[in-house]
Formats: sequence, C-alpha cells, structure tokens
Amino acid sequence: MAALIRSLGARIASAALTAKHVVPAGTAALRLSSTAAVDAKAPEKPTIRKPDAAARTSLSDFGRYVAECMPKYVQKVQLTSGDELEILIAPEGIVPVLQFLKDHHQAQFTNLVDIAGMDVPCRQHRFEVIYNLLSLRFNARIRVKTYTDELTPLDSACEVHKAANWYEREIWDMYGVFFANHPDLRRILTDYGFEGHPQRRDFPLSGYVELRYDDEKKRVVCEPLELAQEFRKFDLSAPWEQFPNFRNANPPAEVVEPAKK
Amino acid sequence: MAKILKASTGLTGLAVATNPHHTLSALYGKILSAVSKMPQESSYRKNTELLVKQRADAVAKNKDIGVLEKSIGCGQVEELIVQAENELTLARKMLGWKPWEKLVQAAPAKQWDWPPAQILEPKV
Amino acid sequence: MAGREAVKRAVQQVRPILSVDRDEARKRALNLYKAWYRQIPYIVMDYDIPMSVEQCRDKLREEFVKNRSVTDIRVIDMLVIKGQMELKESVEIWKQKGHIMRYWKESQEPKPTDFLSKFIQGVN
Repeated sequence: MAALIRSLGARIASAALTAKHVVPAGTAALRLSSTAAVDAKAPEKPTIRKPDAAARTSLSDFGRYVAECMPKYVQKVQLTSGDELEILIAPEGIVPVLQFLKDHHQAQFTNLVDIAGMDVPCRQHRFEVIYNLLSLRFNARIRVKTYTDELTPLDSACEVHKAANWYEREIWDMYGVFFANHPDLRRILTDYGFEGHPQRRDFPLSGYVELRYDDEKKRVVCEPLELAQEFRKFDLSAPWEQFPNFRNANPPAEVVEPAKK
Repeated sequence: MAKILKASTGLTGLAVATNPHHTLSALYGKILSAVSKMPQESSYRKNTELLVKQRADAVAKNKDIGVLEKSIGCGQVEELIVQAENELTLARKMLGWKPWEKLVQAAPAKQWDWPPAQILEPKV
Repeated sequence: MAGREAVKRAVQQVRPILSVDRDEARKRALNLYKAWYRQIPYIVMDYDIPMSVEQCRDKLREEFVKNRSVTDIRVIDMLVIKGQMELKESVEIWKQKGHIMRYWKESQEPKPTDFLSKFIQGVN
C-alpha cells in the first residue's frame, strides 16, 4: 500500500513538472534530475536489496573452482539471496575444505567469522553446521555447510582456525553435536547441571526445570517446571499477505552447475 | 643482496624480509615439487602449478622489490612469503587427503532442500 | 518398525564416537564410574554438602543403573562423555553446592497418584 502511494506521488510530481515550463531553467533541471531518479526507482521494489551482478559472476566462478579442486568433498555449490556463495560439503571434508579455503593462494579465507548450527528434525541428518568465512585479501565472504545427526561426530576445525574453539563449544552446548579432536569441549552457555540442548527443535520453549532460591536451605534449588496454563494452539495466520514484495523475490537458492568439459 | 626497502611492513608480527627473492623462489620450488606428486589431471595441481609458475617467473624477472610487488599484485613481499608458506603446507596435506578422488559420500536425498516445510516424508 | 530400524542400523556404516566395540564402551563406562567413586570424598569435602560419602555413592550407582538398558555403543559413548564433563565440572569446583544437590531432587514433591492427595494438592 505504501509503495503504491509512493509511486502515485512520484508520478503526480513528474506530471506537474513536465506540465510547467515557466520555472527558471536551473532549478527545473535540478528538480527534473531528482524526479527522474525517483521515476527510475519507482517500478522496482525498494525494500529488496538487489544482488550485485559482478559479485555474482565472480562468486559462482569461484564456487566452480572450489568444486573442481575438491571433487571428493563438495556435494553442491549454490548462490543464496542472489549473491551469497554456499559450498555444501560431505562431513568428512570439513578440515580439508576449510584448510584449502584458508591456505590456497586464490582463496585466502583466513578469517572464521562464525560457526552456526541449524536443526531440521524431518531430515535424516537433522543438524546442519555452517561455517562463515571472510577473505580480507579478496574482500569476499563464503559459507561452508555440512550436516550430521545426534550421534555422528564431526571433525573439529580448531586445527585450521583457532577461532573455532568457542564456536564449536557453542554448537555442542546448544545442539549436542560432538566434535572429535576438539581440545577443550565443554559447556559454554548453559549452567552447570543443565540437561538437554536448548536449540534443538524438540526442546520446549519453557525448558524442563525452573530455579528458585529456597530460604530454608539457603541455596538455589531446581524443580521441574509446571505451567499453570493449559497448552493452547494459537492461530497466527492472517487473512492478508504480510510481505507481498517478497512474492517474486529471488529464489532461496540457485545451484551453480559445474563447468562443462 | 637486495637493499632493504623499508623499516617496517606496517603489519603486526610480520618482520621485514631480508632476502625475499631467495625465500620466495625456494618456497615456490618446494610447492612445485610437492604438487608434482599429485596425479596429472588433478585440478588443484593444474591451477596451483599455473599460478606458482607465474609468480616464480615474476620473482625471477623483477629484481626490484617494488616492481615485483606491483607485478604480482597480492600485497607486500612478506605477505607473499606467508601465502607461499601456507600453500606449501596445504599442498603437503593435500597429498594425504587426495581431494581429486571421486565424491566420498553423496548427500542423502532432500538433505539440502529448502524450505523444510516442503520435505514431506517423515524420518524413518 | 523396530525390525526395520534394526536392519537400517546394521546396513548403515556409522562413524564411531570413541569406542569401536562393546567391550571398549563398557571399559570406558567402568572407568568413569571408578573415577567418580574416587572423587566423591573430595567432592563431599569441598562442597560441604549435607550428605555422607555413602549416600553419594548410592546416588552414583543409581545414576549409572538408570542407563543400564542402553546398548547402542555410540549412545554409551555420548553418556560417558557427558559424565566425564560433569565430573570435571564437579572436581574443579566450577559447580556450586546447589548444582551438586540437584542430583537428590530434595525440594521436588513426588507426583500425587491417588485421588485424595490429588484433590488436596488441587491437581487432576
């Protein structure tokens, strides 16, 4: 609605300017140029970031390059949100791929920005582990994704990136993904004695236990949580579409096909 | 011996190299010999050989450090040395990993599908 | 359903966490038990908890017996790893008294089962 009003307003303003030719030439040119700029933008969706075309081609070329160099581990290469490169690898390849991206002349992704986890319970391997890397040399970012389940250990990236230490502890604490060869794997965010992994989708939003100070015992005690309210299902769907601008947005991911020989 | 160009690299922990041409050519030679143990059709070998040979040529051709840095265009010579050292350790590790082999494990069906609401089959 | 699961398990080639066979997993569990058993006197002393060493050892046994039906080697390994982490937290006095006393669940009242006590507590 707001976009409609804005485009209408712009059209009216440009119509008014083209109708009047009596205004002094200098200001007219100035205002014309500014309205022209608005006009050019009007048919686009101003709330959606446009992907950078140059970055897209160079990133997809680089994705192909990585897939070509490490065919043993790379399962799929894709671009998300238009210009974010993702390399999807088999869990065996974490250390080789990260080491390659860090040390190769053409990559130099020496900075591990973050490691994230994701839980999709309907998949056979329910956890995804996502490594965000930054190359200061080439001013580029890349995402490396792999998968695991509750009981399959992943290789720790600590030997490649020192920064991985705490991030992997976070993943262990939040999702319960075990990292083999981690130098110091223990809890980092939850309290001692906490049971369960809170970011798993099957962990209840309210938790299992509650803590309170007991005046008789003079210490904090832990009790199973009991909610006074019965479980209620909230119907949150609205009759109108909240984000119509995103109806024709970029597809979630575009696969980068390997180069033809 | 080349005359020292500057007092500092301006980067923490990176000392000025005293004889960068010698260090670089030695490192590039080591990388090439490590890479030559890989199979001929390995893409990593081809790309690395190409790039390292280019850089080795530039090192052999340009005696002046400033011109060398400009012709390679990837930072100061000290950074080039660090990059070459990294590539050397990588190449040696690659010999153990053998990443040119075929895919070790295909992704399970629907593993990379998104959004997950479209994944309908329940987990067995 | 269970049979299908078992067949799938047998077919699936899985990566072990620590142990490769049952004996090794059993050995790890016993080692963990022994380590806890030996540390309990020090834990009782350091945390100044109102429990005797014997009571603590009974609790230790109870916690281990709780998982006696676990047969999957990887699940055993995971439990052993978690137990090891807890032992370290206790021995290094990263925990506090309240965390140690949490094992006894003193302040929890057992859930009412018969009608009258349910009625008195106001739950149904």
